[in-house]
Amino acid sequence: MGRTLPTATDLLLQEQESFARFRRALRRSDQLALDDLFVSARQHLAATQYAAHALPFEVMLLSMLLEEHKLVIRLQRQLEEMTRRLP
Amino acid sequence: MNTSGWLFDIYPNRLNGLTLWLIGDDGQRHCFQHKFPVSFYAAGPTHRLRALWKYLSEYPQPVKLSRTERRDIYTGLIPVLACEIPNPAALHALFQQVSQAFPDLTYYDADIHPALRYAAATNLFPLARCQVETLGSQVQTIQTLDTRWELNPQPAPLRTLTLEPDQDPACRTPTSIRFQYERCAYTLTLQPARALLINLRSILDRFDPDLLLTSHGDSWLIPWLAEKSRELNLPLPLNRDPAYEVITHKEHTYFSYGHIVYRSQQSQFFGRWHLDKHNAMLWSDYGLEGALEMARVTCLPVQEVARLSPGTGISAMQFVTALQTGVLIPWRKAEPEKPKTALELIRADMGGMVYQPTIGLHENVIGIDFVSMYPGIMVHFNISPEVPRSGAALEPSTLQPGLVPQTLAPLLQKRIAYKSALFDMPRWHTLREKYKARSSAEKWLLVTCFGYLGYKNARFGRIESHEAVTAYGREALLRAKEAAEELGYEILHMYVDGLWLKKAAKPQPEAVRRLLEKVADRTGLPIALDGIYRWVAFLPSQLNQRVPVPNRYFGVFQDGSIKVRGIECRRRDTAPLLSKTQTGILQILAKAPDAAAFGTLLPEVQRFISTQQRALREGRLPLEDLILRQRLSRELDAYRTPSPAARAAQQLAALGKSMRAGQSVRFILTRGQPGVHAWDLPTQIDPKTIDIQRYQTLLQRAIDTLLNTLAPTAPQPNIFDLPPCPEPHQQPLKIY
Repeated sequence: MGRTLPTATDLLLQEQESFARFRRALRRSDQLALDDLFVSARQHLAATQYAAHALPFEVMLLSMLLEEHKLVIRLQRQLEEMTRRLP
Repeated sequence: MNTSGWLFDIYPNRLNGLTLWLIGDDGQRHCFQHKFPVSFYAAGPTHRLRALWKYLSEYPQPVKLSRTERRDIYTGLIPVLACEIPNPAALHALFQQVSQAFPDLTYYDADIHPALRYAAATNLFPLARCQVETLGSQVQTIQTLDTRWELNPQPAPLRTLTLEPDQDPACRTPTSIRFQYERCAYTLTLQPARALLINLRSILDRFDPDLLLTSHGDSWLIPWLAEKSRELNLPLPLNRDPAYEVITHKEHTYFSYGHIVYRSQQSQFFGRWHLDKHNAMLWSDYGLEGALEMARVTCLPVQEVARLSPGTGISAMQFVTALQTGVLIPWRKAEPEKPKTALELIRADMGGMVYQPTIGLHENVIGIDFVSMYPGIMVHFNISPEVPRSGAALEPSTLQPGLVPQTLAPLLQKRIAYKSALFDMPRWHTLREKYKARSSAEKWLLVTCFGYLGYKNARFGRIESHEAVTAYGREALLRAKEAAEELGYEILHMYVDGLWLKKAAKPQPEAVRRLLEKVADRTGLPIALDGIYRWVAFLPSQLNQRVPVPNRYFGVFQDGSIKVRGIECRRRDTAPLLSKTQTGILQILAKAPDAAAFGTLLPEVQRFISTQQRALREGRLPLEDLILRQRLSRELDAYRTPSPAARAAQQLAALGKSMRAGQSVRFILTRGQPGVHAWDLPTQIDPKTIDIQRYQTLLQRAIDTLLNTLAPTAPQPNIFDLPPCPEPHQQPLKIY
């Protein structure tokens, strides 16, 4: 409303759109994985907006990495837990 | 002669001054004249001002001219030429000529509503208690006996006549009109018109209502009555003031907040009020009481304020403050945005902070809200276009309060007083509804005030001030988040001025109090508990289950009341069937003390759903439950692929009904082409043609919205052990 610049959501959609050719050439399974990465970036749109970074895609990449890292740690914990329970 | 009473109406007359109408304490309606000269100001190069002086001294009507100094809000004291004329009604014509002859000069106070000028000079406002001393019909002195900020003003004894046609004239031609006044209520047929007019005339003469409250009066009834009265040569005293004709304004459409809005034509009276329930702003929200409150605080006449947007109301309040404090009101604002670097723009051009909620069902959630956040920020931190701010730090200003905070402070205070009174008031209390309506009217004024700060045509707006408000809003929200996290809360959602938090333990009153105190302390803004939810569900996007959507949730408070946002039953365009089903399900679920009890209620929910589904399948539902209502987003010929609403509107247009952008259309979905049946067509819909399958899909989607989220979310263990946070050193508040 009355704003001059695109919102973080708009920026994300634009970035996603700009990779349309890349996505098209991927295998179907890889396409789905790629879409999932963009969903990860959507989890942190408020922070992306607040960061007001000159290169927003860097922040989006970092958002994706953040979600990946959380997953890695969670899995690592589970693995440790399961290893400990093994006889 | 001395008269006391309520100021009822005010407008410029053709003689030298204003006409005032008073509802006297003696029960009489008095009409007075008050001499009231008005001025406008011109600024510019000396030789041009001299030329204007010469031009005006040769003007056929007397214009009193003088050189003086006045304060421009942006540049400070400037030399101006003051042009005063005795007749307020003639100002418009005079100013038009002057501004055309001298387009290079800067003008001030040129287009201010006479009622606002009068309010600034006398402190009088619609329905103010006042004392008048008169000589003949001329006012000698006039004095107010109360203020705009009175919480319980003495109610004026308004006489109301309600007129309602039996049909919506936009759809079918009405055949009769229902009259209601005092304890009388009866219906008269439109034909013969002579009998109807004679009857109405006798009521106007005998009962002499102050207010004509109509349905569709603006668009149909009043113009129809006026036409018949001319045709039959039967004068109808709709105006109390016989010197004037009923005033009419044309219909128009405009674009506001992402919507096309349609306003039908208007008919206004002199010495009497005409309000049309269907053409009044936010009538469904706050009704007559809210409209009267709007008039009180904005000082605009009741008939106008009921038809204007709250934005015009808040501008009016600013004008009154400006006139009273001697600040010039620019005729056309010429205050461009200051140049910014790209990075500054990226940082400044942001709205409120809207978080992505944690999807799923959560129990024992605390909802907290900043109280009137944006107006609060403007008042507490003195944000006004003319107040300079040093650097980026946003500390409480030591400077004189600016025009915007000066205008807002009493309004904000009044609303908080109503809100806190409501909080303590028992449900049966007679004042409750009045307080609610007034507080709602004030809320709209406060909300739009923030928007007007950044609106390019607002006379006292500046985009930098607008940005400062949102910047502080984001800062306050983040500080609240940090304060809550320090106390061990998990943040589920944040939305501009509200936060949803939870902790493993059930929230105790003492803990909540500590949380509120800490947030208030950290931000400097008042914060209140919205409520503690037994459970609340944040919903994902309909397209992707992993994508969270802000402000789409439903939950139940500890007292069993339900709060719903963003789902079908909150939307005005959904068929009542869907809203009723969703509300029904929620009412059953609200009985559960916690999420674990859902299991025992699910059979009941299932039975309810089956009943609804069966009723739909077997065609046992009333047709009204299937009506969808949508607004036309553009003119009919501008649709390339007409939406269902547009197709329904085309059916109505084919019968000669005028359908404009912004009007809403009611329709039922049918099988085959064109797929819709406009509800307001004169032909009844054949129930066999209804597209039951389509409604079944819509119903299922509405049910899924609720039930898919009801499995409690598995608690996500914190992947890092959070170290206890040290109390951060309180920094001065920075914008970014």
